[in-house]
Amino acid sequence: MSSEAGGPSVTRGRLFGKNVLEGEFRAAPDEDLFLGELLVGVDEGTGRRYLFRVVDVTYGTEHREPGWAERVAGTLLGDDDRGEAGAHPLYEQSRRTYRIARCRCLGYLTPDGFDFRKPKSLPTQFSRVVAPQTTDFDFLRGRMGDLPVGRLRSGESEVDFAVGIPGSSLASHVGIFATTGMGKSNLLQVLAGGVLQSQGRYGLLLVDPHGEHRSALARHPWATERLRTYAARRLPNTNTLRVSLAELSVDDLRTAYDWSRPQEEALFELERFYGSTAGAGLAWLLPFSQLDDLAPFREIDLNGRVALNTLQVVHRRARRIVELDCISADPNLSVGGAIVRDLTQGKVVLVDVSGLGSTEEVLVASFLARRILDEWSGAYLDEPDRHERMPTVAIVLEEAQRVLSSNRDRESNVFPRVAREGRKFKVGLCAITQQPKLLDDELLSQFNTFFILGLADEKDRNILRGSSKQDISALGTEIQTLMPGECLLANLAAPFAVPAKVHLWSEVCRTTPPPPAPRLAAAPNVSALVD
Amino acid sequence: MAVAAPPLPAAPPSSLETAAARLALLLTRGGSDLAEASGRGDLEFEAVVGLRPLPPRPAPADAWAVDGGQALVADGRCVQLVVTRAARVRFRSGRCVLEDEGELRAAVLGPAEAAVARSALQLPGLASDCAVDVNLLRDRWEWDAVERCLFEAEPGAIVLVDGDLQPDWRIPSTFLASLLERAGERGVVLVGVTKHSSLSRGGAPLLGQLEVEAAELFGDRARWWAPLARTRPDVGYGLQVVAARLDPDARFAFRVDLPGDVDPEPVLGALAALCDDAGFPGYPYPLAVADRLAACPRWLRQEVRMQLEEHFHRAGVPPQVRERAFADRHDLMERS
Repeated sequence: MSSEAGGPSVTRGRLFGKNVLEGEFRAAPDEDLFLGELLVGVDEGTGRRYLFRVVDVTYGTEHREPGWAERVAGTLLGDDDRGEAGAHPLYEQSRRTYRIARCRCLGYLTPDGFDFRKPKSLPTQFSRVVAPQTTDFDFLRGRMGDLPVGRLRSGESEVDFAVGIPGSSLASHVGIFATTGMGKSNLLQVLAGGVLQSQGRYGLLLVDPHGEHRSALARHPWATERLRTYAARRLPNTNTLRVSLAELSVDDLRTAYDWSRPQEEALFELERFYGSTAGAGLAWLLPFSQLDDLAPFREIDLNGRVALNTLQVVHRRARRIVELDCISADPNLSVGGAIVRDLTQGKVVLVDVSGLGSTEEVLVASFLARRILDEWSGAYLDEPDRHERMPTVAIVLEEAQRVLSSNRDRESNVFPRVAREGRKFKVGLCAITQQPKLLDDELLSQFNTFFILGLADEKDRNILRGSSKQDISALGTEIQTLMPGECLLANLAAPFAVPAKVHLWSEVCRTTPPPPAPRLAAAPNVSALVD
Repeated sequence: MAVAAPPLPAAPPSSLETAAARLALLLTRGGSDLAEASGRGDLEFEAVVGLRPLPPRPAPADAWAVDGGQALVADGRCVQLVVTRAARVRFRSGRCVLEDEGELRAAVLGPAEAAVARSALQLPGLASDCAVDVNLLRDRWEWDAVERCLFEAEPGAIVLVDGDLQPDWRIPSTFLASLLERAGERGVVLVGVTKHSSLSRGGAPLLGQLEVEAAELFGDRARWWAPLARTRPDVGYGLQVVAARLDPDARFAFRVDLPGDVDPEPVLGALAALCDDAGFPGYPYPLAVADRLAACPRWLRQEVRMQLEEHFHRAGVPPQVRERAFADRHDLMERS
C-alpha cells in the first residue's frame, strides 16, 4: 500500500465525473487499481480530502471511433496467431489508452483533518486522486473499538491501521458470513482472542461442533487465565460437559428437533403426566425412556390421548438424549451454572460438542443460551447494580441458519428471543453462516455488526445488502472477489463498510504478550501500615 | 361473364431506386477510364495501373507530419471569424519527440475583408484579387509548417502531409516549386497521404477496386503499391501519384503523392514502417497524431467565442448587436 506518512503524494489519477455519492477518475493505463482500494481526492480549493473506494475499474481510450479497442485487440491477436507478436506496436499507449475507476465517495475530511463527514458536496472537477496517508484514517481510530480483528485493507494492500469493533457491540449481535475457506474460523478465533484480553469486560460462549477451536484457542497466551473449555467427550485439559436433564426444558427440545404438531402435543402430555414426580425440567425423559412397552402406557396412563406411533417417535428421541454421554440424570449436576459463572467473570467459554449430532449440539446450545439469557435478564430486572457490572456476552452459533431461519418455531426457540431482546440485557449473538439468505430477514436486521468475507452467491450478498448498517450496495463485486482473510466490516461505529484484512490467529498468538503477573497481595503488616 | 381488369400501369421508379441502380452499375460494370472527381484535370494517368508488391524497409530515423485544422467561430454570413492552425509532429526512432499543435490564427473573412486577409497571408506572388477563404488560410499556414519541417529535418527524413501535395490552387506554384527544390537539396522527401481519395476508374472509386485486385494477386495480407499518375509539371520534376497499401492489416489503401524525382518503392517501404500502429494499421501514425493536434473541436470553438465576446464587451459592442449578427439561426429555429 502506498500509504504515505507525509511528503508529496503521487498522483494516481484525476477526477473527471459523476456525482456527490460517486466519483470517476482517469488513471494511467498501467495504474494498478484494485477493487476496494481506498483513495483520496484532494480538493485544493476547499482543502477537503474526499475518501473514495474503488468499486470498478474499466478501460478507456482517447479514440472515439466505435470498435477501435476491439480492432486493436484483433490486430494484436492476429500478430500472436502468426507468431509475429510485436509486429504492430501501439504507439503512445499511455496517452491513447487509460483506466477509469468508478468509486463510491465515502465522505470527506474537513480541512483541519478532525471531522469526517458524509458526502454532501462535489469535489472540484479534475482534483488529484492520491493514495491516502495514514493520517487520513485518524478519524476512524476512536471508532475501531477494543476488540481488534485486523488491519485496514485498501484493495489487496494492508494499511498500518488497526480495525476492530467495540466489545459493547457484541450485545447488538454480530454476523460472520462467508463461504467455506474464506476465514470464518480464523476470524472467530481472533475475536475470541480479543475477548480473552478484554480483562473481563466481555464474555464469549463458543459452541464448537467440530472441535476445531479447542487446541487453537488454548495457544493464546491469555488462555490459561481466561479460557474455560468444556467437552462432551473425554479430552485433555477440558472440563466435562454434563448437562442435567433437570436443566433442560421442553423448549430446548422444540428448538433442537423438528416436531410435528401431534408430537409437540405428546411432549406437553408427557410433561403434564410426569409433573413434579420425576423432577424439574426434562427429568421425566429418564423414566419415560426406560418404558419397555409403550402400548399399555399410552392406553392406561395417557388415556389414549397420544397416538402410539407419535409416542414411539418421542420415546426414541428420549432414549437417544438420555443415553448421551453429556446428559446426566443427576439433578445436582449443573454445568449451566458453571458456564454462567465463567461468563459473568468475563471469560471465553468453549463448549466442544464434537461427537454430538447436529440436533444434540443445538440442544446444548439452546439450553446454554436460555440459561445465559435468564441470568442476564434476571439481573437486569432484579439486580441492576450487579447487571451493570456484568460483562457483555455473546453466544456464538455456527451454522446459524439452523436456529435463525424464518421457519423455526419462534415461540419456543430461544435464539430469536436473544436476537430481539438480548441487547438490553447485554447478551448478543454471534451468528456464523455460509448462507445468510437462509436467515430470517427480521432477525438479520437486528444484527448491527456484519463481518462479510468472500461470498460467491449473489442471493447471499443481496440479503446482506438489505440488512447491513452501512451501504454496501456497490460492493457486490468486491465481496465476490474477497480473498481468504479479507473482509468488510459494517457496523454503526464506522461511517462506512471498513475493508479489513483479518489477523492470522497464529500471528495473534505469537505476538500477544502474556497477561501481566498478578500483583502480590500486601503483607498483613504492610497493609496495617497503609490502613 | 367475368371481365379481366386491365393491368395497372407500373409505378415509375422512385428517385432512390433510380439512384441506387445507377450506383450499382458504376460499382460493378468495370471500366478503364481513370479520373479524379475533384475536377482539377491536371493528372496524367498511367495507361495501365500495374500493382507491385511493396517490400518493407526500415523506418526513417527522422519523420515529420503536418496537418491543418480550422473552425468557424462566428458566422454572420457576410462576415465570419475563423480560426486555423497547423500542427507539427516529429518522430525519431519510433518515439514522438515533438508535438506542436501550432498557433491558433484568427481571421475575418468577407467580401470587404479580402485585402486585409490577403495581406495577413504574407505570401509573395499571391494574386492581388484572389478571394480568401478558410481553405486558403488553412493551407497557407499548413504549408508554412511544412516549410519549417523541411528546414528542421535531418537529411533522409520524411515529411508527411495530410492530403495530396498540392497546396490550394491560389498559392503560387513558385512556392511549391521552391519547397520541393529545397527538400531535394536537403535530402528530405515530402509525402502526401490522402485518406479518402476521389480517384476513380470507370466512375467508381479506384482504390477500392485496386484493393480487390491486389488481394487476388498477392493475397489478403500483402503490402503493395501501384503508380497512378503524374502531375504538376510546373513544379520542378513534378509530382507522382501512387496507390499503396502500407500494412498487411490495413483496412484501406491510400493515395500517396511523392515528388516526381524520387524512387517510390524505397520511400513507400520506409513509409510503411511508420504505418504499423496497432490502432491504425496502414496509416502513418505521425499523421494520426498531427491530425489530433490540429483538430479544432467544439470546446475550442466555444472558448474562442467566449474570448471574442470579451473583446466585444471591451469594445462596447452591445450584446443584442452581437446576437443579431452572429446568432445561429439553425440552432435557434428548431427544425422539424
